[in-house]
Amino acid sequence: MRAALAQASLIRHRARTVLAVLGVAVAAAMLLDMVMLATGMRESFRELLLSRGFEIRLAPKGTLPFDTDATIPGVGAITATLRANPDIREISPVLGASIHILAGNRDVSGSALGIDPSVQGDYELLSGRDVTTPDAIVANDHLLRQLGARVGDTLSVATGYDPQTRTYSGQRKLVVTGRARFIYGAADQSSSAMRRETLEAMGGQARDRASLFMVRVRKGANAEQVRDWIDKQLPNVTAISIATAIAQVDERLSYFRQLALILGAVSLFVGFLLVTTLVTVSVNERAGEIAVMRAIGVSRSHVVEQIVLEGVAISFAGAVLGLALGLITARYLNTILSAFPGLPMAIDFFLFQPKAAWSALGLLIASGIGAGIYPAWRAASLPIAESLRREAIA
Amino acid sequence: MSARVESPIVSLRDVRRDYALGAERVHALQGVTLDVERGDYVAIVGPSGCGKSTLLNLIGVIDQPTSGTVAIAGRRVDAMSDREATQFRLRNIGFVFQRFYLLPILSALENVALPMAEAKVSKAVRIERAAELLRYVGLGNRERHRPSELSGGEQQRVAIARALANGPTLLLADEPTGELDARTGAEIISLFQRLNADGTTIVVVTHDEDLASASRRKVHIRDGRVVDA
Amino acid sequence: MFAFLLASLLVQGSSSVGGAPATAVERQPRTIAIDETLAARAHLKVGDRVSISALPGTIGDTVIVGAIVRRGADPSEVARGDLRVRMHLDQIQRIAGYGDRVDRFAIATTPAADIPRLIDRINRVAFGFNAYRSRDIAVETSRTFQVVSRFHRAIGIITIVASSVFLLCIMVLKVEERRRDIAALRLMGISRATVVRSIVMEAAVVAVLGSALGVALGWAASLLVNWHYQALYRTPLEFSMVTPPTVVFAVSLSLVLGIAAGVVASLRLVRTPPLVLFGR
Repeated sequence: MRAALAQASLIRHRARTVLAVLGVAVAAAMLLDMVMLATGMRESFRELLLSRGFEIRLAPKGTLPFDTDATIPGVGAITATLRANPDIREISPVLGASIHILAGNRDVSGSALGIDPSVQGDYELLSGRDVTTPDAIVANDHLLRQLGARVGDTLSVATGYDPQTRTYSGQRKLVVTGRARFIYGAADQSSSAMRRETLEAMGGQARDRASLFMVRVRKGANAEQVRDWIDKQLPNVTAISIATAIAQVDERLSYFRQLALILGAVSLFVGFLLVTTLVTVSVNERAGEIAVMRAIGVSRSHVVEQIVLEGVAISFAGAVLGLALGLITARYLNTILSAFPGLPMAIDFFLFQPKAAWSALGLLIASGIGAGIYPAWRAASLPIAESLRREAIA
Repeated sequence: MSARVESPIVSLRDVRRDYALGAERVHALQGVTLDVERGDYVAIVGPSGCGKSTLLNLIGVIDQPTSGTVAIAGRRVDAMSDREATQFRLRNIGFVFQRFYLLPILSALENVALPMAEAKVSKAVRIERAAELLRYVGLGNRERHRPSELSGGEQQRVAIARALANGPTLLLADEPTGELDARTGAEIISLFQRLNADGTTIVVVTHDEDLASASRRKVHIRDGRVVDA
Repeated sequence: MFAFLLASLLVQGSSSVGGAPATAVERQPRTIAIDETLAARAHLKVGDRVSISALPGTIGDTVIVGAIVRRGADPSEVARGDLRVRMHLDQIQRIAGYGDRVDRFAIATTPAADIPRLIDRINRVAFGFNAYRSRDIAVETSRTFQVVSRFHRAIGIITIVASSVFLLCIMVLKVEERRRDIAALRLMGISRATVVRSIVMEAAVVAVLGSALGVALGWAASLLVNWHYQALYRTPLEFSMVTPPTVVFAVSLSLVLGIAAGVVASLRLVRTPPLVLFGR
């Protein structure tokens, strides 16, 4: 009966109900977006780091991977040291460099990764062959488009350029053997990969050096312990576990989390305010009706229940609508933030995580309940005789 | 052989009711003592502001006296908690108001069934009983109509049927013909007479001379006091 | 180059008393300036001696912290964890093995200088480098800031739309609450126009007062935001600014919305027959 009464009451004031649902929907959408923002980056980043299964990264001391041009000397020695730990399953040294590709009288610049194709974790081959020969190079679609090149073409690639003499150094002819998607690459980045020895040879000075090591631990091994061991064994590098990397990114992007928290809290509060206002107006109008229900013997708690049900119905409908609205706006906002220079394409700022989303919307509905209780209780507790008298006068 | 003396169904002893109106204190009732016997049909009459409605509210346990005692069917009701009073009203008192106060979002049948739903009567039983009550008040063919689709007289009859839903000990009516024209009012008056003839104890508060005349006993109130019972 | 150096900065914090030079013929240590973040993180103060080198694990030049500086308000650098050091040019060239090279020259001109002509002249004779106007470079390198700006703008738009919906909702509800008062006025013979006008005026007053309070709250919040983030990132950058155009925009919008809500709600009610408003 109470549910039927609540439903009938909402239908009676259609416009008001629709308006309130809309208001709550907007609050729900904002709340959802903020929850997605608060947790999205971290989870998205974690997924990215773990996508190829490398749990630890070694970077030059005091830096984050590819933060600087610094390199780590002694690839061979470091690899041998790492192999001594039985918990380490795979080691992938990576050398990064800028390259210039001469196409006609144009100079297209891009980035190159020197890798070992048997253990690399930086790209996914989309078509063609991997860099199994010294003169092979794989490139991403962005670079190929810039060059107007295809798989099978030969490129003139240089690692150095002297602007004073306008000459290139470290030049070599490389054949495009495959197309690749670079996992950590930004959307507008021209990326390529070749064998590390090839890039080293082209670079001249930079022998037996790497910009980064990626380390995969044995299944069941404790990555943090391995990280600590590496720290002790190799004091000249910084070993970064997934957790550390995420913590560092968290710190840099803490602004967005704080923004998310503040806007999320405001949304929740406004949703609460809306429902409270609606319920208050609704019960004030029905003071007489409520007094009569009490007079004929309906208990206070049952009256409150019926009124609160109205608030809950509005919150629920608003939450459902808000979910759809929130997902749309999140996508739009994510597009904006994805334009961050140097941001890996795979990173999403707004990530939908069911558990977090349902918790947030659940909180909104719960606040809808709370918002209705006080005005309902007040209305149901008014002295019956006085209410009836006031209604008679009115 | 002496006749068995039944205790009155309503018993008020030296009842006072004061309340604040702004900075002033209003003495709505000033020491009212009154009995209503089972099966009686009492009309409480008096000029505006004399305290008749206040008296009815106290009998109906929707208000509490400042002092004095009120007993309904042998039970003290003047100091009940809200919960006890609500339950008592639900099962023992039927209230009819001047302005009907039907829930506009429910049909006539649903309005009559509402007190039974609160009393946890099963749906099938309460639907049947509500239909029966509507037939009793002459509205068997108007079950599904909303209050906005009923005339004033019809609405008041639905309100009376609602008041009878849980088989109350006492039926109280505050100016039941106040919003009705003479002809419709007469229909309500004859309905009350039929109810009383069928055994319902009725207390009405009224300005309506015809309604007062139809009762068995008149109680005159003036300035919060019974002047003639 | 700076980055390269940062990667290799090895700090051996030592007090200004003690830490005697390793060799008898070592020169008087030169001074460097460090930024606040580095000073805080490495617990350094003016007068401390540190060793600076280009390779990790090697002992380089001993220098003295001569000053601790606060970085300029560059929004693109704010959240990065960079540690900055300022050194004498010849020293960093030597330590980093850069030779007689620099990354760039910064040129300050006299107030009367014709900058486009100057840039043109430099570029004509330049060999291996180009001259640019500083502000053109700034635009190029501030993409991060642009992204954040766009994001803020989008959030701002969404917040405005959301606030507008909320405001409309609440105003309509509150006016609806007065339905009986409106019905009574109409029954007394007060015209629809008068009723609408009086409600709209009331809505306008509420909107004005609300706007004034909102501006005050916004200004206070702005102060709080700046205080918090300037301390957090150790920067003089102003994160939030309440400017006259912002205030005018916000107040105008809330006035328009408040009045619109009042109009919509009151029109709805005056069009309903008074007795219906009374619930009959």
